[in-house]
Parts: sequence; structure tokens; C-alpha cells
Amino acid sequence: MRRRAVSAITAAVLTVSLAVTGLTGCGSGDGGKESVRLMVWSPQGDQSVDQGQWLQTCCNAFAEEHPEWDITFVYGVADEASSAGQVSQDAEASADVFLYANDNLTTMTDANALVKFGGKYREEIEAVNSRTSLDSLTKDGEIYGVPFAINTWFMFYDKSVFSEEDVKNLDTMLEKGVVSFPFTNSWYLASFYIGNGCSLFGDGTDASAGVDFGGEKAQEVTDYLIDLESNPNFRIDADGSGIAGMRDGSINAMFSGSWDAAAVKEALGDNMGVAALPTYTLNGEEKQMYAYAGTKAVGVNTQSDYMVQAVELAVFLGNEYSQRLHYELENVVPCHTGLLADEEIISDEVVAAINDTFNRTSILQPNLAEMSNCWVPVENMGKGIRNGSITHDNSAEQTEQMNEAMNSNGI
Amino acid sequence: MAGKKIQSAKRRRFINNSIVHVILAILAAIWVFPIVWVVLTSFRAEQGSYVSTFFPQSYTLDNYIRLFTDTTILNFPKMFMNTLFIAVCSCILSTFYVLAVSYCLSRLRFRLRKPYMNMAMILGLFPGFMSMIAVYFILKAIGLTEGNLIKLALILVYSGGAALSFQIAKGFFDTVPFAVDEAALLDGCTRWQIFTKITLPLSKPIVIYTVLTSFMAPWLDFIFAKVICRANSDQYTIAIGLWNMLQKEYIDNWYTCFAAGAVLISIPIAALFLYMQRYYVDGLSGAVKG
Repeated sequence: MRRRAVSAITAAVLTVSLAVTGLTGCGSGDGGKESVRLMVWSPQGDQSVDQGQWLQTCCNAFAEEHPEWDITFVYGVADEASSAGQVSQDAEASADVFLYANDNLTTMTDANALVKFGGKYREEIEAVNSRTSLDSLTKDGEIYGVPFAINTWFMFYDKSVFSEEDVKNLDTMLEKGVVSFPFTNSWYLASFYIGNGCSLFGDGTDASAGVDFGGEKAQEVTDYLIDLESNPNFRIDADGSGIAGMRDGSINAMFSGSWDAAAVKEALGDNMGVAALPTYTLNGEEKQMYAYAGTKAVGVNTQSDYMVQAVELAVFLGNEYSQRLHYELENVVPCHTGLLADEEIISDEVVAAINDTFNRTSILQPNLAEMSNCWVPVENMGKGIRNGSITHDNSAEQTEQMNEAMNSNGI
Repeated sequence: MAGKKIQSAKRRRFINNSIVHVILAILAAIWVFPIVWVVLTSFRAEQGSYVSTFFPQSYTLDNYIRLFTDTTILNFPKMFMNTLFIAVCSCILSTFYVLAVSYCLSRLRFRLRKPYMNMAMILGLFPGFMSMIAVYFILKAIGLTEGNLIKLALILVYSGGAALSFQIAKGFFDTVPFAVDEAALLDGCTRWQIFTKITLPLSKPIVIYTVLTSFMAPWLDFIFAKVICRANSDQYTIAIGLWNMLQKEYIDNWYTCFAAGAVLISIPIAALFLYMQRYYVDGLSGAVKG
């Protein structure tokens, strides 16, 4: 009974409020402008005057495109990695529109804080993005964000040391120069295992398939890594030692992402080479390394008071204009298919290398909750090899242990 | 014969002292090492977070200059002032709370005295950040999580729990003889006058200790500031700013500035300590005669 009364009241309130907004909509003098307050979060760099205020520029352009709304923008700072934590902590007090990295997708969908894009918006997004970038933001068939950048890692090298032919194979490179690799970071190290047929959750979406980082194929990789670590031309990149080595010339190639591109350019100048991941030679066979790849995307908060405007803004921030501006101001690598076909943009080595990595030498990083168990075991493998506790004698057993740990959620 | 004995005793003492001093010197070097390293890094001209040499290859003041001039990405001066304001306010508030509560518990006798002390003791066993999320939602419900009110929220958070950490100050007040209070009462002092005119001047070391600890807690806190400030970058405190400098995107560019910032935040604490340490010298001497 009480429930019915409540719903009756709600219905009444809704009708009244609809009537009121309808009336004001017709009656107001300033052309019927709806006043809208949108809170937008982005990393500090996107709002910095020195770097051209990407966010503000785009938001103002959006406001100009929609004269029917009188929009007040409130800007906040949250980078792509930490926004998910903030939004899932308290969606109600979070931004309407924010940027996030796709590996945080589950955090937010679990907190029911991420809007699904449907209808014409979905079509618009699908029209300008590759299947892979869409897949990175899809969960249970729904798209949860507008991709605006590719997020992965690749190789920087010194052109005066390696030729374009050399950088196709890691072992060839090790004969000619010093290579540094983040050996104790599982985001990077797993690439060797994936290269030899190890898989994560089937095609990356099937949690019941589990992780397959065991068996002979994985043990072979472990043995390869043990030899790699003891190679005199190999350096472990940790705490920024890779980029420091590039600066003083003691290291000729390193693996990192677009965030280090400017620093490498400064260190190597015209000798900077960028390439997708190389292959490595395992028992005489060439195996391709595969990086984890993902996208950065614009998301909309389910608690937004101005849903239409928030979704429109999200789509706008991921459109061709915004991505081009992002690239021009801050070298953010776009994922818009139109931009990637643009001669001027694709001729940029870094863009080309990232794009090549994304299309050819990477797998989508699974965004299942179970993925969180996969980081520490691989990291421990790297550390164990580094400190000598994992050797050829116990590699089989240690690899099995890693596989078991990745498949269990015990802490 | 006797001369020989004295000489060997002397020699033994010399050897003992030498060994002790060598050990102390080694330990001192180990303890000071990280601080020296941070200071050296703050003057380092080479960029980046990783270096192959202990001593920088060239020195510069640019890191300090940059902290105060390059404010578009990380506004250090603003963060510094935010933190200073919050720390000074909560220092004053919590010093007052701690001293007032300790005085009451030491001098007054009332029914809830024992239960209060037990409760404070048990509450003190739990880590403060356990209540972090609850505190955040309470502050949000009152509307203190937006704009400049965040500063007020942080001041409340840092000083609100101060009354629970009265134990040390109360212990000190207990050592001031009751006779002094009684004499003052006979002369017509009120409780407040006894507190401000007699107990506090007699307890300078503990007052200083309280001021220092209640300044340092908000000055150095990261976790509450992070939870409460969220995306409001204009309200960030230095702890959040320094943490931001170590993020993947900034670390290579900002690492030496981070060290400079770390050196700078120690200045207010050091200044406060240097100014106040002279009061550390026995506050009770000459107070009670015979």
C-alpha cells in the first residue's frame, strides 16, 4: 500500500516537474536556453596553459556547437589511471565526464558508475574506430566509452647502432648493442610468454577458460628469459635506468610508451628510432613478442544530472577535431581511423610505431576482474630470475607455480 | 708497577672509545646518507630519476626555481600555502584540545574521567585511516567536500581526534605538584587562570612537544588529503603534489624538483623546532622550592 502511495507521489512529482520544465522551456526569454553544469575531469597536462589547454579548448568548442545549452564547465584533475578509483569511490560527487584507461573498465562497471553508449551515439563511435579499440571498451556487448587514444608500449632504439633490419629480432639486437627491458614489470614481461602461445582467458574475454601460462611452452620461455637475463648486453630497466642509459649512451634500446617519447627524442635527436615489438629466437624459431594494449577513453558517469549533454560532450571529446588537437598539443596518439589514415599524422614515427604495435604485435589486455591475479606472479618470475633463485634446474617447477598463482585468487 | 697499571687502563679506555666512535660514525653515516642524497638530488642538473653516480655531475638551483615558476602543471607555491594554512590552523586547534583535555583529566575529578580515559585508550588502538571513507561521506553530507571548504574539512579532520591523544601531556601535568594549584586557589585563582598562568608555564617542554607533533601530522599527511581533495587540484596539499611528481608521466621531468620539494617541506618543521627547542630545557627548574 505504502509503496503504491510512494509511486503515485513520484509520478505526480515527475508530471509536475515535466510540466514546469516544459513551460519554462517555452516561456523563457533568452531563446529557451537550458542551463547545464558539467563537471569534467582530465589529467593536469590537458588543462595546462603551457600545453595549450586541450580540455578547455574542446569544451568551449562544444559549447559553441550547442548554442541551445548554456553550459558551465567545472574542471577537475584526475588522470586516466586514477579516475576510476575516484569515480567508483563516490560516483555522485564525481565528474559527469572523465577520461579513463580501459583496464579500469570493470572497476567502474562493478560500481555501476559507467554509462553505456547506445543508439546513434554508438553508431557514431563504431563508425570511426577500429574493431580492436571498440573491443577494448566493450563488456557484455555494450560499449562503455569513447576511445580517444591508444595505450601500449613499444621499442625506442638508437638508429646509429641498429639498422631497421636489426630491430626485427631481439637476439640480433643483443649482438650489436645494449638492450634494456623492464624485466621485473609484468605489464612488459608477459609479452614473451604470450609470444610462445600462452593465453589469458581464452580470447581474453572468457573468465572460465582461465590463464594458460604453464606447460612446456611456458617453461621454454622461462629458460629463454634466464639466458636473456645473463646476456652481457642485456640490462634490466627499473626505476628509470633505461632512459638514463639512453641519455648517457650506455643503453641503445629500451621499451616504454609514448610518455617517454619526448625524453628519448631529447637524448637521441635524429637518431631516435621507434618500432613495434621485435621477435625473439626460441630454440631456433622466431617468436613474436606481444604487448598488452588498451585504449584511453572518455566515460560518462551514471549519476550525471545532464545525461544528454554529458554523452554528447563525451562523443565530442573523442571526435576527429578533439583527437587532432590532442595530438597537435600534447602528442597524444589518436585512435580515430580517419586520423590514422591522415598522411601527416601517420608519418610521425611514434604514431606509426604505436599503431603498428596495436595492430600487429599486441593483444588486448583482458579487462576481467580475474586479471588482477595475473600481475604479481609474473613480476615475481622476473624478480626470481634477476636474483638467481630461478635457474634452469627449477624452471619447470617455478613456471608451474606461476601458472597456478595466476589461476587462483588467493593472496 | 702502579704507573704501568694506569697506563694500560688508559690505553684500554682509548681503545674502547675508538671502537665505539668508529661504530657511531658508521651508524651516523648510514642514517644521514638518505638525507644527504635527497639534498644532493635537489641540486642535480641532470634530469631523470635514475643516476649512475652518487654525486651529481653538475649542480644547479633550477630545480628550486622551477618549483616556484613552472606552475601550470603542478602548482607548488599554491600547494605549499594550502598546506601551511591547514597545518597552522589545525596545529593551534589540536594543541589547545590536547592541553585542555590533559589538564582536565589531570586536575579535575569527575565521574566520567575513568570511562573517558578507557574509551580513549581503546579508540586509540585503531588506525585513524580505518574511518577514512566514513569521514569522507560525513564531510560530503555536511557539504564540506567542494571548493575552499575542503580546507576547513581537512582542518577538522586533523584536529578533531586530537583530544584522544592526551596521555603524554596528562602524564607530564601529573608531575606538577598539586600544592602549587592549591596555593593558587587559596590566592583566588580560577581554574582557567591556574591552567594558563601556572600549569602551562611550568610545562613548556610538553607544550612544545604537542605543538610540534600537531603541526607535523597535517603537514605530512597524505592519505586523508588524497581521499578528501579528490579531483580538486586547487586544494591539493604538498604531499599530493609530491606524489603526483612521481607519476609515470611526470617522473622523468620532475624527479629532481621532487627532491627540491622534499627539502623545502622540511624547512618549516626545522624552523619551528629550532625556534622552540630552547624551551625544551627543563621547564620545571626553580618552580617549586624546598
